[in-house]
Amino acid sequence: MDAVVAFLISIPISPLLSLLFEGIDRKLHARMQKRIGPPVLQPFYDLIKLLGKERIIPATASTRIFEIMPMVSTASSLLGASILLSNILSNSNIVGDLILIIYLLAMSSIALIVGGSASGNPYSAIGFSRKISMMIAYEIPMLIAVISMAFGPSPSLAVSSIIEFQVSRGLPLVASRLSMALAAAAFLLCIPAAASVVPFDIPEAKTEIIYGFLIEYGGPYLALAKVSKSVLNFTLTLLASAIFLYIPSLLGEAALLNLGLSLFLCLIVSLLIMFITITVPRTVLARLKVGQALKFYWVLPLTLSFSSIILSAVNL
Amino acid sequence: MIERGIEKEVEVEYTRLRIHFGPVHPALKEPVSLRVFVKGEEVVDVDIVLGHVHRGIESLAEGRNLAQALYLVERICGICSHSHTTCFTQALEEISGIKPSERALYLRTLIFEMERIHSHLLLLGIMAYEVGFDTLFMFTWHVRERILDLFEKITGNRIHHAMNTIGGVRWDLTPEMVKELDACLGEIEKSIKYIHDAFMDKTVEKRTYGLGVLDHSRAIKLCVVGPTARGSGVNIDVRRDHPYAAYNDMKEVFSVILRKDGDVYARTEVRLLEILESINIIRMVLDRLPEGSIRPEENIFRLMRKIQEGEAVSLVEAPRGELLYFVKTDGKGGLRRLKVRTPTFSNLACLKHVLVGHEIADIPVIVASIDPCLSCTNRVTIINRENGELNVVGMDTLRRRVRKKWMQ
Amino acid sequence: MRVGKVFRDAFRSLFRKPVTVEYITKPGKMVPVPERFRGRISYDRETCIGCLLCIRVCPGGVILSTEEGKVAFNISRCILCGQCAEVCPKGAIKLSSQFEIVTYNKEELTIK
Repeated sequence: MDAVVAFLISIPISPLLSLLFEGIDRKLHARMQKRIGPPVLQPFYDLIKLLGKERIIPATASTRIFEIMPMVSTASSLLGASILLSNILSNSNIVGDLILIIYLLAMSSIALIVGGSASGNPYSAIGFSRKISMMIAYEIPMLIAVISMAFGPSPSLAVSSIIEFQVSRGLPLVASRLSMALAAAAFLLCIPAAASVVPFDIPEAKTEIIYGFLIEYGGPYLALAKVSKSVLNFTLTLLASAIFLYIPSLLGEAALLNLGLSLFLCLIVSLLIMFITITVPRTVLARLKVGQALKFYWVLPLTLSFSSIILSAVNL
Repeated sequence: MIERGIEKEVEVEYTRLRIHFGPVHPALKEPVSLRVFVKGEEVVDVDIVLGHVHRGIESLAEGRNLAQALYLVERICGICSHSHTTCFTQALEEISGIKPSERALYLRTLIFEMERIHSHLLLLGIMAYEVGFDTLFMFTWHVRERILDLFEKITGNRIHHAMNTIGGVRWDLTPEMVKELDACLGEIEKSIKYIHDAFMDKTVEKRTYGLGVLDHSRAIKLCVVGPTARGSGVNIDVRRDHPYAAYNDMKEVFSVILRKDGDVYARTEVRLLEILESINIIRMVLDRLPEGSIRPEENIFRLMRKIQEGEAVSLVEAPRGELLYFVKTDGKGGLRRLKVRTPTFSNLACLKHVLVGHEIADIPVIVASIDPCLSCTNRVTIINRENGELNVVGMDTLRRRVRKKWMQ
Repeated sequence: MRVGKVFRDAFRSLFRKPVTVEYITKPGKMVPVPERFRGRISYDRETCIGCLLCIRVCPGGVILSTEEGKVAFNISRCILCGQCAEVCPKGAIKLSSQFEIVTYNKEELTIK
């Protein structure tokens, strides 16, 4: 498939897929709690309902920033998702590499908290400061885990070339080297915090600070914020499945010829990753405090990602 | 408490951020407003503001006869409704000398202990929810649902049982119910052990250990009651100290659970283990349940006429602690004065001490750990903002004002 | 293992029937209620002798006497204590098993 066509197709597909993923996540979460749970399409219904509601801007907010930031956030996470998806779909790199995707995702989180804290609510101010501390905690190990790929077996940071490398080896990247397994572990450990789910949903903690920076958003703004968050979660899981666990590579060269099948397998794997890194932690764990989360991230994932860099430098 | 709140509003302190925690907040099941002053994430001062759901039940009851007031006071609390009616009927029985039968007293004890199980399970669920552990919350409330179904079978309603009447109880146990209750108790016992184990989960432990410490001497000084006091090692329990209903016969089957630490986890654990004690008591009740009638032969109007003019104080151990009623009857089947002191009223003041020095993240957990039942507690106080003058407004004045508003 | 103690139970319940039930308000499909359940008041106007005892025990002020010497119920004030049913000498008042009291129609809240 032509790269430009793939990119254009990915833009509408990625929010649809991510909302579907969110629906599945909510259903699984409910079933693990012995509940019936919402229908799988509930996120779509929520979205439609929210889009039809009136726009409320708090009197204390600085209006411009409050209004624009959800759009910026959604745009950047959508762009990240589309770049990734088009890379998998067309197997050619058009606009950006891994670093761009990671930064677009970070950008999306930051835009949301900036917009939220522009509302003037003290709870969103607390949410802002908490999110910043959390980003310091998880962004570093995550970035290092991704960068270690540049030292690794395929010295490239473009998703398409990493996929090509995996296909040429006939093995997913985790299985090819110890350093990559460690990097994958670090990356997976960072997903719950980046997706901000329990135990790391500290910035929005509903029983403590009532969704923090999202507190004043409602109606279409909240709809955008929700889309942005669910696209972010989807991109993270898809990224993990594409660069570390590209299961279609087991098919050999056929994976590159039959890209539709590869994408499907990739999505299945990312669904599994979502179950393990998002659904299960938020079901079986309690929320941590900022200090405890910071300690966790700077002990385990940071060590993992650093050792991954060191190991890949010595070609392990 | 309230006076200090005004001072703070007048003086402007830029280093502190004032956060209004409540009256509407997902962590609070009922409205209370905590004005929390924070520096960064640390709490430096707390003001508790009550009065959002004042319903004037005491005053409402004073205009009604005893049979009407009996189920009105049940509505003071949506969780420990049986405690309120028991306390009220006990006071009436004290005044009139009507003696409930043994079987009625045993049945009262049974509902009492079932209520304690359901109330404690409710709180345990909320504790889990406050720390973000939704699954444990759902599991705990699933267990609680068993007890509520039994309540519905025995008394006809899940929460407001309306079990008590003057001189007895209204519904009897059938043999099938006894069997079902017995089967259910075994399951609950197993589930409690499971929940206890789940509360030892490391992530929960990190959020509850060593938090909100209320030491023994301060607990005594602040007059806290119930599991909150027992979590700090204060050895009080109305069931043992002033036995009522059938608790005199139950002394050997239950022990008062005490913990020395006084932190959130201690209070939670006291409640967990009290459920097991309650199960023991229920088993004993079912074992020893005497035969006989459950209520006096006379109808309610005769009974009301029997109650002469007098006053009485009655105490029960509600799930949250000591509940006190002062009842003064007028001898014509009506009430002259009713005064209720709910356990949360005693417990709430300790929040101010235990919250200071903790992080914002700990506020909901600590507030939940004293098991606040706020609607029971609310009083109306009107504060003059200019000079800080306080005056309590009675029901009559309020009624008059409302009427004036309506006329306009 | 000190973390994730409920994981086993949670994972197992993925493959089991959920314990919650859907809320269905269609008659005949509602969740069954036990025998002693106290629901919406049902009033038999024919057997009522107009002794008005029920008014004297009602905590909520639900019951009003009508001109014909019978009573009328304002359900929106009812707290379902069931004392009126208890004192009624003819058994004209009963608490039915109907728990759906909420309605869009204000007239339905009055029973005559």
